[in-house]
Amino acid sequence: MSVPPQALLDRRVVFVFGKGGVGKSTIAATLGLCAAEHHGKRALIAEVNGAESMSTFFGTPPVGYAGRRLAPGLDGMTITPAEATEEYLVRMLRFRLLYETVFRNRFIAPLMDGILGLSDLISVGKILDLEWTRADGGFGPDGTGPHRWDLVVVDGPATGHGLSMLRSARSIMEVAKVGPLFQNARQIRDLIADRSRFTVVLVTLAEDLPVSEALQAMDALDREVDVEVAAIVVNSVPPPLFPDPAHAALWSAIREEGVVLGGRAARAILDGERTLSERARADAQVERLRAAVSVPVVEVPRLPTRDLATDELRLLGPALGPLL
Amino acid sequence: MTLQAVLANREVLVVCGTGGVGKTTISATLALGAALSGRRALVMTIDPARRLADALGIVGRLNEPVAIDLGDAAAPGGSLDAMMLDAKATFDETVRRFASTPEAAERVLANDYYQRASATLSGSQEYMAMEKLLEVHGAGRWDIVVLDTPPTRNALDFLDAPDRMMSIVENGAMKWLGAARDDSKRFSAARAGLRIFGKGKEKLFAIFERFTGGEVVQGLSEFASVFSGLMPGFRARAEGVRDLLTSEATSFLMVASPNRVALAEALFFHQRLTDADMPFEGFVINRVKALRTSPGRTPATPWAAGFRRRPDVRGWDRALESVWQNHRRRVHQAAADREQIDALQSRCGEGLLYEEVPELHTDVHDLDALREILDHLGGPPPEAPA
Repeated sequence: MSVPPQALLDRRVVFVFGKGGVGKSTIAATLGLCAAEHHGKRALIAEVNGAESMSTFFGTPPVGYAGRRLAPGLDGMTITPAEATEEYLVRMLRFRLLYETVFRNRFIAPLMDGILGLSDLISVGKILDLEWTRADGGFGPDGTGPHRWDLVVVDGPATGHGLSMLRSARSIMEVAKVGPLFQNARQIRDLIADRSRFTVVLVTLAEDLPVSEALQAMDALDREVDVEVAAIVVNSVPPPLFPDPAHAALWSAIREEGVVLGGRAARAILDGERTLSERARADAQVERLRAAVSVPVVEVPRLPTRDLATDELRLLGPALGPLL
Repeated sequence: MTLQAVLANREVLVVCGTGGVGKTTISATLALGAALSGRRALVMTIDPARRLADALGIVGRLNEPVAIDLGDAAAPGGSLDAMMLDAKATFDETVRRFASTPEAAERVLANDYYQRASATLSGSQEYMAMEKLLEVHGAGRWDIVVLDTPPTRNALDFLDAPDRMMSIVENGAMKWLGAARDDSKRFSAARAGLRIFGKGKEKLFAIFERFTGGEVVQGLSEFASVFSGLMPGFRARAEGVRDLLTSEATSFLMVASPNRVALAEALFFHQRLTDADMPFEGFVINRVKALRTSPGRTPATPWAAGFRRRPDVRGWDRALESVWQNHRRRVHQAAADREQIDALQSRCGEGLLYEEVPELHTDVHDLDALREILDHLGGPPPEAPA
């Protein structure tokens, strides 16, 4: 496996990206936890996909827009378009009345959103704000002193929406050619394009459709957004039948014995065959992915439980090790 | 109503579900079932898995039905077509249909903001799936149309899509921005502000305009102006879609897989459809690890199940322990699946379909595999009387 040109933990923002249901939140949580627990980073996980997953993983009350400590060294917050938009516009437009009149107008709001992708831009803008935030509360492009967070992990929305989010800055720059909105869009575009500060981790599954979609997403990111993909994480890879590969040679003898025994033994053999076939199909998909991309591909094992909490995330951490 | 009765009687079958549950495969299977029983079936899908698309022969062909060769498997009169949707092309077709003149259509199609809207407007894909559904249903070429809904984060997004689209194309901002032009076709922000916010607030609009840059407001205004001519057409279609979806001719099915997230979504969906008076028929639960078998008592060790210990064979005992651990893990997962399905059933109650398809251990990439899934769903309906 090739080594990423720059370790993930040296970036300021890692945007976790992928199709719905592939486990983006799990990977984002694992990344944040590893960074805080093993690398001494002050990390923040920002959820922008409308779900409140982090409180479930870390067993905390909902984190909300105000944010909350998830674990030692690890904070969480949920970026909702409505709250981010209000915060941004009240700041930019100086007085609340204008925001209330213009952007909460039921006619204007959907246009700004639907056609310009303004709320997408503002969500990414909030990430930029977080990146800018200083330990002493200072803020903005010209701030000094240590940052409040060394690393911001973004638990991104599903592929299509994620793409439009990353694209939104360029998209707005094309239409708003002057003015404060244009200036902000340019700052956001610059953040996304800056490889030392911003990178994308693409999450997928070792299955046919998710791999195809991951390849399409790579292509779309490359064509439509000036952004680097640091790595692909294949999540939930089914376990091998034999953790010790040396045992695989014994399978046909075991199989024979189990079939003769019948009953429970035969059912165990059937399950063994299923696991072997699942794993073989998963391996083929990972191979297909590796053959098609030049970025590092790491595999994260499927855990037997579906309800993950902090302890399970710790089990997943080592799989991401090569990227950190 | 049984699934077979649905396939035999309905004209529209809307198949919903979140991404990754095998919705496209189930949709194709259901259409196949209807075709085998002698109906002319069409399955419409947005973005099928590569191999399924290969198998159905629809790769790279957008917005046109492709006949699937069923050999002599279908009952007389039965046929299966598949169509892959292209939202952008459908949007363009719709504009052409609703524009008063070809020139008006070209003005919309060439507008920069239209191009943005048709590509990125949230819900445009869902809206266009509905639009196409109405079109093919009205064409009379098919007895049943199975719609594989777009993979949305939320299985319900497509339901709101017509309304959301309408609220954008129809809302006052469009009208007012469009009207904020004088006879010389020049846009006036002050006039737009006046129209939208009323007297005394034009200044606010001017600040807004400075913030976004004048071109944004101007561009929106142009878009509103060219698009406003299409609104009556859009409104009629959106109503047509709603009528069709709530009619007797239509059924909704939801595909879910047995895990906590998918089933929570299924429950939510059931509630929403019921609230919206949509004819919800029930669930197809896909990739179920074990079908209605109780895990029973699984022996704790392979030796208890009769396997020999073989100290003479290096690694034998440990390898068997791995095999056994795997077996126990799978038994537990199957039991967990069963629990989830039972919970869904007790929450949604009787009178709905709860069809199960076991986890298959091959990729679905041909009609034979679809046929196998169909058999798990009870096979095709009895042949329609000639």
